[in-house]
Amino acid sequence: METGPRYNSRMAQPLAKKVLLIGWDAADWKIATPLMDQGLMPTLDDFVSHGVMGNLATLRPVLSPLLWNSIATGMRADKHGIHGFTEPDTQTGGIRPVSSTSRKVRALWNILTQRGYKTHVLGWFAGHPAEPVNGISVSDLYPYATQPLDKPWPLPPGAVHPESMRDTFANLRMHPAEVTEAAILPWIPRAAEIDQEKDRGLASFAKILAENLSIHNAATWILQNQPWDFMGVYYNGIDHFCHGFMHFHPPRMEGVPEDKFEIYKDVVNNAYRFHDMMLHTLVDLAGPEATVILCSDHGFHSDHLRPRGIPREPAGPAVQHRQFGIIAMRGQHLKEDERIYGATLLDIAPTVLTLFGLPVGEDMDGRVLVQAFAESPAIERIPSWEQEPGECGMHPADLRMDPAAAQAVLQQFIALGYIQKPNENQEKAVATAVREANYNVARVYLDSRRPKEALPLLEELVKGSDEARFRQHLAQCHYMLGQRAEAKAILEDLIANPPKPPEQAETTDERQETRDDGQETGDERRETSENPASAAQELNAGNGQRTTDNGQTPIVNRQSSTEDPPRPWADWLMGVIHFEEGNTEEALACLLRAEQADPRLPNLHLRIGETYLRRQQLDDAERAFRRALEIDGDSPEAHLGLAQVKLRRRQNEDAAEEALLAVGLQHFLPLGHYALGVALARLGHPHRAALAFETSVSMLPGLVNAHRWLAALESRPGGDLEKAASHRKLAADLLKRRREQMSAAVNN
Amino acid sequence: MIYIVSGLPRSGTSLAMQMVAAGGIPVLTDGLRSSDPNNPRGYYEWERIKQLAQDPGCVAEAEGKAVKIISSLLMSLPGGHAYRVLFMMRALEEVVASQTAMISNLGTRGAALPAAAMPAALRAHRNQVIAWLGTRKEIAVMQLDYHALLADPAAHAVEIARFLGLPLDTEAMAKQVDPALHRQRTAQAL
Repeated sequence: METGPRYNSRMAQPLAKKVLLIGWDAADWKIATPLMDQGLMPTLDDFVSHGVMGNLATLRPVLSPLLWNSIATGMRADKHGIHGFTEPDTQTGGIRPVSSTSRKVRALWNILTQRGYKTHVLGWFAGHPAEPVNGISVSDLYPYATQPLDKPWPLPPGAVHPESMRDTFANLRMHPAEVTEAAILPWIPRAAEIDQEKDRGLASFAKILAENLSIHNAATWILQNQPWDFMGVYYNGIDHFCHGFMHFHPPRMEGVPEDKFEIYKDVVNNAYRFHDMMLHTLVDLAGPEATVILCSDHGFHSDHLRPRGIPREPAGPAVQHRQFGIIAMRGQHLKEDERIYGATLLDIAPTVLTLFGLPVGEDMDGRVLVQAFAESPAIERIPSWEQEPGECGMHPADLRMDPAAAQAVLQQFIALGYIQKPNENQEKAVATAVREANYNVARVYLDSRRPKEALPLLEELVKGSDEARFRQHLAQCHYMLGQRAEAKAILEDLIANPPKPPEQAETTDERQETRDDGQETGDERRETSENPASAAQELNAGNGQRTTDNGQTPIVNRQSSTEDPPRPWADWLMGVIHFEEGNTEEALACLLRAEQADPRLPNLHLRIGETYLRRQQLDDAERAFRRALEIDGDSPEAHLGLAQVKLRRRQNEDAAEEALLAVGLQHFLPLGHYALGVALARLGHPHRAALAFETSVSMLPGLVNAHRWLAALESRPGGDLEKAASHRKLAADLLKRRREQMSAAVNN
Repeated sequence: MIYIVSGLPRSGTSLAMQMVAAGGIPVLTDGLRSSDPNNPRGYYEWERIKQLAQDPGCVAEAEGKAVKIISSLLMSLPGGHAYRVLFMMRALEEVVASQTAMISNLGTRGAALPAAAMPAALRAHRNQVIAWLGTRKEIAVMQLDYHALLADPAAHAVEIARFLGLPLDTEAMAKQVDPALHRQRTAQAL
């Protein structure tokens, strides 16, 4: 077999001997930073002070299986093929957790296997069955206890590659029943007060702890006993502890009983401290020559933005996720004690390839995080890794099958009477899995600004269901396609006929009442959580997260519902459309109506602020932007809005300060740099202003006013007249092109 | 040892079951699905095996016997047994035509796929199952071409007996093949 690379370009210099990629699902600097400041996460503190750190922007939809596979492939979900938590199972007629045979493209461990690196991967989402990599692969079904401790607890077939290591890894697992009092008390000192007949909190705690320790045991065993060049290890603990216990996290949320709050209030912080300890072991075992990358797929609301209820829709708990996860990197060729900006989770795979001196696929959607490197790395590129010949440790192509085709085959065999007809629940679960996968792909298209591709999927979804969320996204799709009339028609209908309230899950009070009554003691949940197939079924039937089923979480009400929560979404989008059409009065009416329905949405206040700004109602605009900041103090757009308000008032120092805050939070913010430039120019700092304008046009070359400012600044005595002329011409050309486009649009 | 006859539905699995039964292997069947115009000589099915995915332990009852297991259920075979699988291969266009005719007779509803796309889906499924079988050391597989079997049943009976490692009555096996009947059914299906 041909094994050599097709690319002929000079190999870039490897910048890492080994790379350890650690995934902490849902880790968020908002929680970690205060703990680091208090000295309670010393390993992470030391890690970032000797490396780089930053926010890692997530993708939409914010669903972990899609996101972790984007991290591993550098591609969005439409390309990598993992579209949800579950998929049809042709053997049972029901559903199963989404599997590695559904991934269509090579993950990092496949590419590195192909290049001959010793590669291990553990616990990654959609990792079952374990892939035949050049090393050890431990699937995501590995840690789940399927039987009580006193009964045999076999690993599911395919949980470990190579098969010869199966027994070794089976013995490294920890069963939830092995979590003793000594392990529980440091986390929950008042555990003895819990009535476990009514409150399943301890059981769910033990389950999450045991599963993560099982993965950790396997990872540390490999680092101690096997040669390695790359290891990817994924921990779901933070996400699951947060889904289970975040509503007990201080400050106490309205509706959470004080006694329960006192018992569980430290669980989330302790989860972070526990992960810090595991990080210490991993970093220590990896050794000083390893480059270590720590990342999360999204953050988790931990403050006043915590939702009080969960939408009654599949994957509803994703409403608790925050748009920024974390990234921290430490290694020999990386910067030290620096912050990086603008990273997205699509950037991890290209960056790891660059660390190994390997080319980046041009079909990857991410980019190399160049700013993390001490010196700019040489970046090689190839059209795609998918065409590179050689064994890459994926399952044989024949073993992989498109889930939709598999479902069609299953349906055919059932019709022929050769397979038992699934029961009603299974059929419903399969239909839900297929529908949610299509919905998720449509949202991926919208998130990547490909509404044309989303349109047929959304139209089909709307044909099959009158759920508001499908219609809302169809409206958004029309809006993005410039089809405002179609978008408005849907929105008007949604506004005139709002979905039935209440869409939200039970309130915290109601949840507590249910638990205290013992009506949700979790027998059914235990059953589902102990059986991967039925657990998978529950995912789509209810909460969409693998183990949020613990009886202690703000868990979704699992009654099926086709209604969405009473969201201000329709009014919000209608307001945006009116704003873009220049109808600021109608825009305001819609946006303020949306505010009345849900005043906690930060983007809503930004839109309100922008509308007031356009209407020159500067006091109102400022109030709206400040309201946005009350909700999310890290909103760069809100600071930008304030900068624009201050500029209009000629409060230039304040404007500069706000603009600096904005670009500090999000470096890639061209209008932020532009606002900073204007403020600095007015304050008499032409050189710094020019720098800010240049940054803004490097990010957004069509920013006409920035070119005009640059032309003016360079025309001053001592300036570069050639540059001035160039910017003047660019501004003129841009304006001319814009006029032509407008004229063409009018003629059309 | 468990002897399995498998393949896509309508690929000749019932014919293969008739042959191994005639050859002298006890077959595991409950007779619940009686013969009909789609399979005039019967289906040779065991209803409980349809639960294989949910209850893999049920296959233990087939120890020392022959049992028909449809292709998609093979991947649920548990470890702890040795298996010999006769896997029927038939042109997918014929399989689809025959399946469509049977679905029409049964009055059920088949896959929500355009007819033209069905062969590709079945091919992918069949390849997947065969690839999976190749990963299991305890499973030996013999692929049997349906039309080759019709053309020369005697030679195939000998090959089947050799593969299964049993002193089967190959003459009786070959007699089960009625080329006229099968050719006619193929033509009807198409």
